[in-house]
Amino acid sequence: MQQAFIAIIIILLTIAVYIAMTKLYVRFSYPILIPVLTTTVAVIGLLLVFHVSYDQYMIGGKWINSLLGPAVVALAYPLYNQRKILVKYSLPIIGGVFAGLFSGMISGLLFAEVFGIDRDLILSIVPKSITTPVAIQIATGIGGVPSMTVVFVMVAGFSGVILGPKIMKWVRIRSYLGKGIAFGSASHALGTSKAFEYGELTVSMSSVSMTLCAVLGSVFGPIVVWIFHV
Amino acid sequence: MKAIRIILQIAILFAFSLIGEGVNNLLHLPVSGSIVGLILMLICLTFKIVPVKIVEDGASFLLSFLPLLFIPAMAGVMNYPALFSGNGLVLLLIVVLSTLVTMVAAGIASQMLENNANKGKENDECNKHLSQS
Repeated sequence: MQQAFIAIIIILLTIAVYIAMTKLYVRFSYPILIPVLTTTVAVIGLLLVFHVSYDQYMIGGKWINSLLGPAVVALAYPLYNQRKILVKYSLPIIGGVFAGLFSGMISGLLFAEVFGIDRDLILSIVPKSITTPVAIQIATGIGGVPSMTVVFVMVAGFSGVILGPKIMKWVRIRSYLGKGIAFGSASHALGTSKAFEYGELTVSMSSVSMTLCAVLGSVFGPIVVWIFHV
Repeated sequence: MKAIRIILQIAILFAFSLIGEGVNNLLHLPVSGSIVGLILMLICLTFKIVPVKIVEDGASFLLSFLPLLFIPAMAGVMNYPALFSGNGLVLLLIVVLSTLVTMVAAGIASQMLENNANKGKENDECNKHLSQS
């Protein structure tokens, strides 16, 4: 009974903070104020101030978390609406996804090698641009540390969402298709949530890229690691 | 009435995600259950096994606050305070740089191929005009 009470309070609190942060973002709309970042920071701040552990927070948090599965399934709806465009642009989609997938994994390996990072951490970086549940499986498969991978996936999500729009402007990625594929390939579901600011075409490009990256990453992740025999 | 419809539709989406999980466990696929669920749902919508009407409101509703659903997983970073000092910052820098490389590569490659595809179409249309004249 008490557990249920705690869970409800945590859920309501998280929603309240999220609504407040969304209002803030609508009001000022700086990229750094993206609600998913500000809400996370605010929630962590509250937990630290009130000495609540992450495990205690998850008594309520797990209920919100459990909606992620159906939300990923729900992405089939914008994909279905845009199915004609997806078929028409299948070549740019596949080309962009492959370019993103390989450059992401290889650049991660190379940068980590240059900075002299430990082997198990290097391997944890490889699947960072792939959606969390799949990234965990890939990391486990190639000998990385899954909990570190979760953090790297999150950082890949945030950096793409916050810095992405600026970088894409610099390198003149102007098309909605290109932006969507860039968001989905580099920043998975978080990038896809950002893509909603650009319209349904960008959302469906982003979600199809995220899905392809998850499927192809599971296959090519171990192969890339093997080729570069880290 | 609309609220009940949305809840029922989310239940359908939930069922697909669970079915995806089940298929995944059965076949030992290397992807996650929800991704399998997404693909199954897309197949069912395309072949009209599931009419769009019975998921569209639930899907739109759920996707309208997608970022909220990430918060609990994101807050897990509080268990890794070491990441935000010294060596941890180097790791984060690597991830940020590599992510930006990924974005640029994916964006530029797809935009180039898109322009090519559009150009091809225009040429076809030009040819059509030519053959007509």
